[in-house]
Amino acid sequence: MNTQYSTLVVERNGPVGWLINDRPEQLNAMNNEMRDEFADAWLELEADRQVRVIVHTGNGRAFQTGVDVTEIASDGVGMERYRQSLEDFDLHFTAWHQEVTKPVITAVNGLCAGGGFHWVADADIVIAASDAQFFDPHVSVGQVVALEAIGLLRKMPFEAVMRMALLGRHERMSAARAHELGMVSEVVDPPERLREVAQELGERIARNSPAAMAASKRALWRALELGLTDACSAGAVDLVSMWGHPDQEEGPRAFAEKREPRWTVAD
Amino acid sequence: MTSDGLLIERHGPVGWLIFDRPDAANAADAAMLGALESAWAELDADPHVRVIVNTGNGGSFQTGLDVVQLASDRDALREQSRRTRDAELRLTAWHCGVATPVIAAVNGLCAGGGLHFVADADIVIAASDAQFLDPHVSVGQVTAYEAIALTRKMPFEAVMRMALLGRHERMSAARAYELGMVSEVVDPPERLREVAQELAERIARNSPAAMAASKRALWRALELGLTDACRAGAVDLVSMWGHPDQEEGPRAFAEKREPRWTVGGTDA
Repeated sequence: MNTQYSTLVVERNGPVGWLINDRPEQLNAMNNEMRDEFADAWLELEADRQVRVIVHTGNGRAFQTGVDVTEIASDGVGMERYRQSLEDFDLHFTAWHQEVTKPVITAVNGLCAGGGFHWVADADIVIAASDAQFFDPHVSVGQVVALEAIGLLRKMPFEAVMRMALLGRHERMSAARAHELGMVSEVVDPPERLREVAQELGERIARNSPAAMAASKRALWRALELGLTDACSAGAVDLVSMWGHPDQEEGPRAFAEKREPRWTVAD
Repeated sequence: MTSDGLLIERHGPVGWLIFDRPDAANAADAAMLGALESAWAELDADPHVRVIVNTGNGGSFQTGLDVVQLASDRDALREQSRRTRDAELRLTAWHCGVATPVIAAVNGLCAGGGLHFVADADIVIAASDAQFLDPHVSVGQVTAYEAIALTRKMPFEAVMRMALLGRHERMSAARAYELGMVSEVVDPPERLREVAQELAERIARNSPAAMAASKRALWRALELGLTDACRAGAVDLVSMWGHPDQEEGPRAFAEKREPRWTVGGTDA
């Protein structure tokens, strides 16, 4: 059953698990509690055998607007804890941090600002409502842009990321431009259809072999760590790792029999 | 104002570095090659310069080495050859370790070695009639540095196509925008400098110290794997904590006024 969180909503809809930012009054900014709940929610959905794909979105007019600095800076321990986790690079709030092996779709429902880019950079697939807007105000308030932008610049043209980093709050990127640049792969118009489109996209992905997707995801993300030849060598191991897996017989058989495959999901 | 093929100007918080050999399509001769390093250093060291714009006079932005001139200046040719071989070029802001944000404003033709200044800028905008090509292989030369940097920053295929087509194809400003090589196309082209100045002034409203650390983190990320780049970037991030700009930024925002950033230990 769905665990109760106070800053997130976790839901299931068929094969799709939903992780929804739920601090709409604070534009879904992340306070200490939310940061802890993220760590648990990702692992809960990752462990659920019924969940084949995870969609991450937000309630209200914002997707995510980064760290709730007001709270983290004022509760006495928050800032020190945050500093320590950064210095150790011991973070647990995105799917990438939590080593989620299932496909993750980020569905950007509105404003995505600053630290909100963590969940764009660290998702496998990103779609956006047509009225979504992206900007990174860090340098406009004397903060450094680092981790989110570093993740993004591996995945899209560098110049656009640097422009956002240096313009700060003095410019916003539209969903249309994000689509042109390949930061998102689909813009949903009207924006109200975002969740419906994300669910349908999740269901299409859920028709594919979970084991093959997990190994593919591992190979592709690891490629961001390595040079080309090393990434291929490591990827070859992932590739061969599926040989002998029952899905490799079931896939072609189902195709020949014109039926949906019955994938084997490991315990 | 200099006579070595470069102009340096200042307009408000924006420093301008302008290629000024319009009759030679701004190709870099020995004098310009020798002057670039000190020009970048001068602008980077000036506390009043918060952003640098790099553009060209005339119909070209930059067209690489002036091979004709260099052939007649054996000492200069030998020195540039050595620097090229040893990867010790001192042409671009990246080569020279410039910490200030750099905008390349491509005002026309950008060819061959001119791509260095596109690849090594933080932000690139272009006049609508700008064109990009890399003629190296059409004259028996190898494309390396400029294209290598570009392949880290935009789709690879487009860079390889430019490298292999040589002078037999030009990329339009519109295509460069589609590919994310430039983030803005200015039309009519005559408005390029005005747009660049305005863009730079917007950037100049942000914390210089935070921008320098961010720039360091993002460029370093091109050197490392993702996780290592994030670890190193986290150090840059935390390095700003305790800096006066981190209190001044939110305070100015709350008071609805422009922040007064601290530059080099003093209020700017």
